[in-house]
Amino acid sequence: MTDHPTAAGPADRTGTTARRPRPRIRPLTAAGAAVAVLLLAAAAFGQSLLPGWDAQDIAAGARMPGGGHLLGTDALGRDIAEMTIAGARSTLTGAALVALGSMLIGNVLGLLAGYLGGWTDMLVRRWADLLLAVPALLVTLVVAGIGGGGYALAVCALMVLTSPSDIRLVRTAVREQRHLPYVEAAETLGLPRRTVMLRHIWPNTLPVAVANTLLNFAGSVVALSSLSFLGLGVPPGAPDWGRMLAENRDLLYTNPSAALAPAVLIVLSAVVLNHLGDRVLEVFSKRGNA
Amino acid sequence: MTTSTPTAEPGPGAGTPTASLLDVDGLRIAATAGARHSIVDGVSFAVAPGECVGVVGESGSGKSLAVRAVTGLLPDGVTVTGGTVSLGGQDVLGLGPRARGALRGRRVALLMQDPFTMLHPQLTCGRQIADGLREEEHPRRGRAARAARRAEVVRRLAEVGLPAEIADRYPHELSGGMLQRAATAAALAADPDLLIADEPTTALDSANQAAVLALLGRLRHERAMGLVLITHDLRVAFSSCDRIYVLYAGSVLEHGPAGDVQAAPQHPYTAALLASEPSVFRRKDPLPSIPGSVPPPGSRGAGCPFAVRCAHVAAECRTAPLTLAAPPAGAPGADRRRTACARIGALTALPGAAGEDTGDAGPRQAREERTAGAPHAGPRRSDAALVVEGVGRRFGTGADAGHQALSDVSLTVPAGEITALVGRSGSGKTTLARIAIGLETFDSGTVRSGPVELRAGGRPGPADRRRLAAHTQIVFQDPYASLSPLRTVGATLREALAAARRNGLAVDGDRDQAVLALLDQVGLPAHYADRRPAALSGGERQRVAVARALAARPRLLICDEAVAALDVSVQAQILGLLAELRRSQNFAVLFITHDLAVVRQIADRVAVLSRGRVVEEGTTAEVLDHPRHEETRRLLAAVPEREVAD
Amino acid sequence: MNRGPLPLRYVLTRVGGTLVLLFVLSVAVFALLRIAPGDPARTLLGQRGATPQALAAVRARYHLDSPFAAQYLHWLGGVLHLDLGTSIRTGAPVSATIGGRLALTGQLVGLGLAVALLLGIPGGILTALRRYRATDRAVQTAGLVALSTPAFAGGLVLIYLFSLMLRWFPAYGPGQGGGDRLHHLVLPAVTLALSVTAVLLKLTRAAVIRELAKEHVVFARARGVPERRILVDYVLRGALVPVLTGVGLVVAYLLAGTVLVEQVFALPGLGSLLVESVTYRDVPLVQAEALFIATLVVLAGLVTDLAQPLIDPRLRPARTGKGNAR
Repeated sequence: MTDHPTAAGPADRTGTTARRPRPRIRPLTAAGAAVAVLLLAAAAFGQSLLPGWDAQDIAAGARMPGGGHLLGTDALGRDIAEMTIAGARSTLTGAALVALGSMLIGNVLGLLAGYLGGWTDMLVRRWADLLLAVPALLVTLVVAGIGGGGYALAVCALMVLTSPSDIRLVRTAVREQRHLPYVEAAETLGLPRRTVMLRHIWPNTLPVAVANTLLNFAGSVVALSSLSFLGLGVPPGAPDWGRMLAENRDLLYTNPSAALAPAVLIVLSAVVLNHLGDRVLEVFSKRGNA
Repeated sequence: MTTSTPTAEPGPGAGTPTASLLDVDGLRIAATAGARHSIVDGVSFAVAPGECVGVVGESGSGKSLAVRAVTGLLPDGVTVTGGTVSLGGQDVLGLGPRARGALRGRRVALLMQDPFTMLHPQLTCGRQIADGLREEEHPRRGRAARAARRAEVVRRLAEVGLPAEIADRYPHELSGGMLQRAATAAALAADPDLLIADEPTTALDSANQAAVLALLGRLRHERAMGLVLITHDLRVAFSSCDRIYVLYAGSVLEHGPAGDVQAAPQHPYTAALLASEPSVFRRKDPLPSIPGSVPPPGSRGAGCPFAVRCAHVAAECRTAPLTLAAPPAGAPGADRRRTACARIGALTALPGAAGEDTGDAGPRQAREERTAGAPHAGPRRSDAALVVEGVGRRFGTGADAGHQALSDVSLTVPAGEITALVGRSGSGKTTLARIAIGLETFDSGTVRSGPVELRAGGRPGPADRRRLAAHTQIVFQDPYASLSPLRTVGATLREALAAARRNGLAVDGDRDQAVLALLDQVGLPAHYADRRPAALSGGERQRVAVARALAARPRLLICDEAVAALDVSVQAQILGLLAELRRSQNFAVLFITHDLAVVRQIADRVAVLSRGRVVEEGTTAEVLDHPRHEETRRLLAAVPEREVAD
Repeated sequence: MNRGPLPLRYVLTRVGGTLVLLFVLSVAVFALLRIAPGDPARTLLGQRGATPQALAAVRARYHLDSPFAAQYLHWLGGVLHLDLGTSIRTGAPVSATIGGRLALTGQLVGLGLAVALLLGIPGGILTALRRYRATDRAVQTAGLVALSTPAFAGGLVLIYLFSLMLRWFPAYGPGQGGGDRLHHLVLPAVTLALSVTAVLLKLTRAAVIRELAKEHVVFARARGVPERRILVDYVLRGALVPVLTGVGLVVAYLLAGTVLVEQVFALPGLGSLLVESVTYRDVPLVQAEALFIATLVVLAGLVTDLAQPLIDPRLRPARTGKGNAR
């Protein structure tokens, strides 16, 4: 009860003096982390390890799995398995950029708005409200489509449109800490406000920001692959899951894995990232209640 | 009384009226999550119809869980692992969840601590009282039935002293005291035989506290209902209860009639707890305190849990199993009392509430002498640590009515003295403290904190903040939020020292040495420098907060309810520490508190704040012994302590 | 003092805020013409021959030589009279083109919202009540997968399963007539609802769990209020505001989803129209659609805002005679 400063009396905080047991890492979470590492490795090294990913062989087009092609071939006779691995780059790096950029914007604006309050806070909040009111995917579609900027423009637009969730989250976390005694004690030590903000408040807001970045990463995988499915963003010729799916969906009868393999990887990446984000949030919210 | 009891203990209710309402025997409660720590280790107690039983203990005693187990409303992660609970002769632990649910409200109801969260914010008070009424007596359907229910709700509101229109009010429209009354009416809606009140007055200020306690006492008599009062506040327990159970670290250490326990405790813990409770009537010099803190579940050894802190400890205390036995025949009311102290026969009389003062020349005279250290003439302004003149502060603007937190407040804190600022919640005392240290702005007047002149209408600039930091420091109320959770104690103190150096303090020697010196000053061992706040108890955290403030060698230390969140024994430690540090370093203290006993114990001067105005000011003895203003008298009357005749 | 459940000042500020938001969004939509690379007049001419006369005509028609603000006002004036210009690609009036596609998308979004509400909210309540048990884990896992599945991938899997393998539903097209249309819209609506259901599920679960942990629930139990009444009157009432806010936000999700779903299921609705217009840089049509969608989303937000004080008395102005607290 913060509005009752004289609410005297010790609450029964049994066990606060005992060290809390470390949160157990669940097997599922460990598996998720392993999959995430594999996918990121594919994004980083896939195209260098498989230089022949776009080798065409029209004669061997649209084949079911077998004959040296683990997942069969597409209409141009390209190997689906290799293309899928090579396609990790555009979706995952783009999505990672969106999530990290959004985290950066969110932390800077959220920290300033939450700590400074007043006009800064008002402006930042209005800005976040405005962006939150529009559907990100549609705006990115329209801006990237009309603007003709392709991949870079799409990633930038998505970054800005994803940032309100980070801004709000960080701002709320900062405002929760803002008037806690340990922050005010740092202020009364005469420390510069910048120091108080960066060294005292910010570290304590990081866990939520990290969790939200993972969730945004997942959301951006979905959004970016949706854009490339619609034929926007990725330049022609680049391997990409969304584009593969769009191109190969007519092969559902002849080689379903041509369309299903990229679909499965999109879903798998997003599931793993969402799960990790949820877990981070869960662990830290439990610790916060300590 | 039908329960069979071990031979060592002739029944918890022995000597109490027959036909027990509640019988708890050998109750054990443990945490289920993670390591299975035992939280309550075989607690027994009994309540007779119409009786008020107090369960007192510091945090970590398990008092709240032990009594909540009766209602079957233990929080997640905690479960009963042994013992029996019988309500009106019926064993309830064996019942299914549905059957236990049916007992709640009618046989036993629970009233909780915080009136602001206990009621649903989206339902009117009347609706929430009506929800608990017995449906067979007050049917829900039909127009006539609805009118009858409404009339019943109004009757229930009247019973707790609230007007009928409260029925249509939402909780956020009422004050804390009114809410606690409405919640009491809701708790009693199904006419329980037994009401359990878990710290019902802790969240209220002293005036409301007294009123709610009086209300509970009246309702118990009128309804001939059993009442269990769980509290950390010994004064509350002794002033309202027939019998007292003293819990410590999951065990009952002593129980008996309230008056007898207060006058002649039969366990060293009770005696030490009573001794460390400051009194509003006289200063205890020194205020005795109990070293250490309550051991957390999981780190309790065999034998008496209090042994590690006990001044009378012997080898047998650490090994002999804890059993409640009758005290020596000479003790007052010995036949109705039990103590867990194995050595009680060997100990000479333990001091009661009347305490060690009995040999003195008489309380009043002693009091005069002890507070005479303060000059009786008004404080001189020239060497004052803090001068506040004509300060006003208004919160809320525009169409909202706003709230005048402070109006035309003038206050002088003389150098080297302890000035207490008292008032009920909302009186503006914390606002004034925050203004004095630059955390809050003010609208009018002047504030001079040592060398720094603060201006109305704006926060101090960087240079002023640094000069202010070199002169004034603050210790806050909540020890759990006072330290950054991610930093070690050493890192926190090193930063404070670095800030002090930057603000112009000449610190000689190695910085790590300085950290150890600070820890030593506040009575913490050197290895605490590597600990994080989570590994510290509340009292230890508050010591670190004091050390951080002292790093700047301030001339003025502001304590904003700095001991209010601590247990009595720990509160005594911190009060002693502050007094000692003030003596050795000769800084001034502005001590914000709601507790007049603490004022008596520590302050040289006191100012009483009421609705944003200073209504009375003077030396502690003048103000507390000869109060001139109505508000001071009201605050004194609301103190639950009874003066013990010596 | 106004004591009604919907205080006038609250309504006025919310409506005012909505109008400001709409103004800002309309400026942004109008500015779309400027972000297209090259001369706006050439953009507006599209594939047609850019003769000097044609360019001059377009400049006059859209007031391209006036300052930006004047251009905007002319455009806004047209919009307010439902004159949204003509499509560059077809030459047909934009309002007629949109009107012709509205019904199909409306039906799709309505069905999708119904599926999401019927699955997401009860599912959220159920998982909250059975939290950390097998049911909860299973439903939550399903929700996680649904949230992580882009509408086009989900649609493809549904087509593969229910059209190609099981042959229960048609794979493509809008169908003819009421019954046939419904039959054709089942798979698209389920696809559209997948991620939105997951969002509502997560949100409802969290809100109900938060409410279950409140002190007032313990107090209600402690005084013998029947368990069912605690759930309905105490817990669900408390969870209503956050869930309602979530439903308002979900409308934007649904509208965005139609773009993908209509593409996958070959439905000639507003979503596929938007994709076509963006691909052809048919700026007047894109502007009109963007404005239309923005208006819908903003209005949905307004409705949820206005509903809140009806549910939560704390958002209404306090009555006089408040106790002497604080």
